[in-house]
Amino acid sequence: MGKHRAVKQVKRYGPFYIMALPACIYFFINNYIPMGGLILAFEKYTVSGGIFGSEKVGLNNFKFLFQSADAWIMTRNTILYNLAFIVLGTSISIVVAYLLHEIRSTVSRKIYQTVILFPGLLSVIIVSYLANALLAGDTGFINMHLLAPLGLEPVSFYSEQKWWPFFLTFIHLWQMTGTNCILYLANMSAIDPGLYEAANLDGANRFQCFFKITLPCLVPTIVTLSILSVGKIFNSDFGLFYQVPMNSGAILDVTQTIDTYVYRGLMNTANMGMSAAACFYQSVVGFCLVMITNTLVRKFSSENAMF
Amino acid sequence: MKRRMISALIAAAVSVTALAGCGGNAGETAGSGNGGEGGKESSASGTEGSASGTDAPKAATGEVEKIRIYVPTSGKFDDMDEVMAAINEISREKIGVEVEFKAYEFGQWFQQYSLFLSGTEDIDILANYGGYLNAVSQGAAYDLTELLPEYGQDIIALEGDYLKSGEVDGVQYAIPIYASYAWTMGITYRKDVVEELGLEEQVAAVKTLEDWGAVLEVVKEKKPEMTPIVSMSGNTAPVFQYGTWDDLGNNYGVLMDGGATSDVVNLFETEEYARLCGVMHDWYEKGYSSKDIQTQTDSFIVLTQNDAAFSAIGNGDFNTSFYQTTTCGKEMGTVLIGDPVARTYNNVTYTVMSNTKHPEACMKFLNLWISDPEVGTLVSYGIEGKHYEINENGMGCYPKGQDASSCTYHLGSNLSNINRILWESENPDYADLLVESNANAKKSAGLGFSFNTESVTNEITQLDNVCSKYQVGLECGALDPETTLPVFIEELKAAGIEKVIEEKQRQLDEFLAGGGQ
Repeated sequence: MGKHRAVKQVKRYGPFYIMALPACIYFFINNYIPMGGLILAFEKYTVSGGIFGSEKVGLNNFKFLFQSADAWIMTRNTILYNLAFIVLGTSISIVVAYLLHEIRSTVSRKIYQTVILFPGLLSVIIVSYLANALLAGDTGFINMHLLAPLGLEPVSFYSEQKWWPFFLTFIHLWQMTGTNCILYLANMSAIDPGLYEAANLDGANRFQCFFKITLPCLVPTIVTLSILSVGKIFNSDFGLFYQVPMNSGAILDVTQTIDTYVYRGLMNTANMGMSAAACFYQSVVGFCLVMITNTLVRKFSSENAMF
Repeated sequence: MKRRMISALIAAAVSVTALAGCGGNAGETAGSGNGGEGGKESSASGTEGSASGTDAPKAATGEVEKIRIYVPTSGKFDDMDEVMAAINEISREKIGVEVEFKAYEFGQWFQQYSLFLSGTEDIDILANYGGYLNAVSQGAAYDLTELLPEYGQDIIALEGDYLKSGEVDGVQYAIPIYASYAWTMGITYRKDVVEELGLEEQVAAVKTLEDWGAVLEVVKEKKPEMTPIVSMSGNTAPVFQYGTWDDLGNNYGVLMDGGATSDVVNLFETEEYARLCGVMHDWYEKGYSSKDIQTQTDSFIVLTQNDAAFSAIGNGDFNTSFYQTTTCGKEMGTVLIGDPVARTYNNVTYTVMSNTKHPEACMKFLNLWISDPEVGTLVSYGIEGKHYEINENGMGCYPKGQDASSCTYHLGSNLSNINRILWESENPDYADLLVESNANAKKSAGLGFSFNTESVTNEITQLDNVCSKYQVGLECGALDPETTLPVFIEELKAAGIEKVIEEKQRQLDEFLAGGGQ
């Protein structure tokens, strides 16, 4: 069967392969060739030795990630924040996308969508100062214009840990909902309107429509996006976790993630090997998680699995 | 089995990076490395090409070597080529070397510095701001021990013992610039405000940090729009970055009292440190510092320029008040806490890249740069008449009709602060005062010692992280030392500070036994 089928395939899909070629070349040059550099994670890099000739030190570079007393804290923070981002992010994006979808007037839908999208376009530096304008101890909006008129004691947000899980999650959602809901919105417009019409005729209300039609139709998208997010669960949004808390040491226990730890620890030493080791570790764990999630998905509903 | 697992893991990493669209740092590091590799090859062939292209063939004795120097600057370098031509005319004749400076804005510099160190650019001489030990530990610094006495006599004559700041384990890796080696903790304040409030006598009587509190109290009361005390560089650096102790390169193990003895101790456990943090906390509680001091990112200079701050703690020497007056644009004064002490100075150094093809030429040029006033001035300020003029006091100033923003060359970088004309904003006696200060200052027992961190990298990575949690908060006064300091010390110990101190003591003893001082 082999040869005959292969020829047939090429004949049939040839143009598609050619169309995919530029992307393949791009990925090969940009993503695969540099992977040789991963060898840095196992080396004590020196200029004279170069990338491939430096002294091999085994797993020595990975030590610093696990030796620290903070190893548990930063791993916990990274995973929990990301889980919260995935779960809340997905549900809120879907709800917002549904709301936008239900707006009949094209003009107002475009306006709302732009407004929701806008925070995602802001640089995280600007976001951190917006947060600072709200939260600062002496001059912040909350302390000066909300708590003071009410006769409440000012809160020094930048040294109290309990607030930050909420702040960071809120800021992340505020920033990312706009971009995330675009995909869902596009998917929703692709749902056959006939389904809704039939449901309406049968007397289904909005909620029933949402849960019985919209949501089931979105499941493949949700699953794919979630699997991809799970793969990045060991990487954190560096800008969010480093810039927004304004480098305040007192709240580090709830704002430190693997990325900020690596940055703070290696900023002064510029150690190539250790940086490469940290990224290597994040990628390997991320890959394993993707494989595990996908296997689980395949087991329970094989048509939704990515591969 | 094991091998299969490993290869599976590697394949794993591969596909994840691909899936993530190469957003991760792994891809970035590796990518830049690879790109650089190619760059190295092409630049190498480039050098060859230019060498064969010059009129002097390589075999001839009158051959001209070309070297490239990378420096950061906050100044202007639009007319770099023109200035280089003028410098090369001198250097070609005197030492048979042609140079090419490549200047970067400071912000960009600090982002690219690691890349420069990785050896993938065609660099011969590299400026190092904030220490050169990374260059040494990455093997990027050329061993200058033998070249220095041969081609660098003028450097030796000028810097003398201070050259040891560029040594690690007895090997000369870097040439420190000739700058002020002697300093101590200093409080910089608004002199005009002090005069306005009639506080001169009180200020003159200040001997310790505590004494300053009385001044702050008056300022807080009479100048409500001004924060009495702020952090020198915002929250990016600890307040006691410049202490009365000799920090021997990093704060993990210091010599107290300006290096009176060679006993390396844990700074954070000393009574002195607890006392200083106590003073800062007291001021914080009394409202002398802002409640937001912990997250304040603006530097003292910026705040002063806007009349929003009165004083800050930083380093102090003979020139601090003069320097701060010109940078802040206000009349500034400095109170020194303790005596200035000469210590290892390696804040700004020049290293020769270990993969250079012209080490001798590099050394020759550094020697010319430090000794020839014409070259020194050309590099710093460009061509007379075009980029600067000499005013009636014999000091440099911008030509008529030009200023800092319109002048097309004003690099500012130099190897020796006394081997160039003085700028009009500088202290007219700067050169004499500098030489005198460096010659007569008290010397720390650790002067000339550089700590080689190679064997304790893991510990220092962790210590840096512990410090980022507590140090700024404690030193700016936002955290109560009574409760926080013990926790801080405990975590430092868990992160291995004792091992670092032990190693530092061992290296220092070895250095001293080898006749360091």
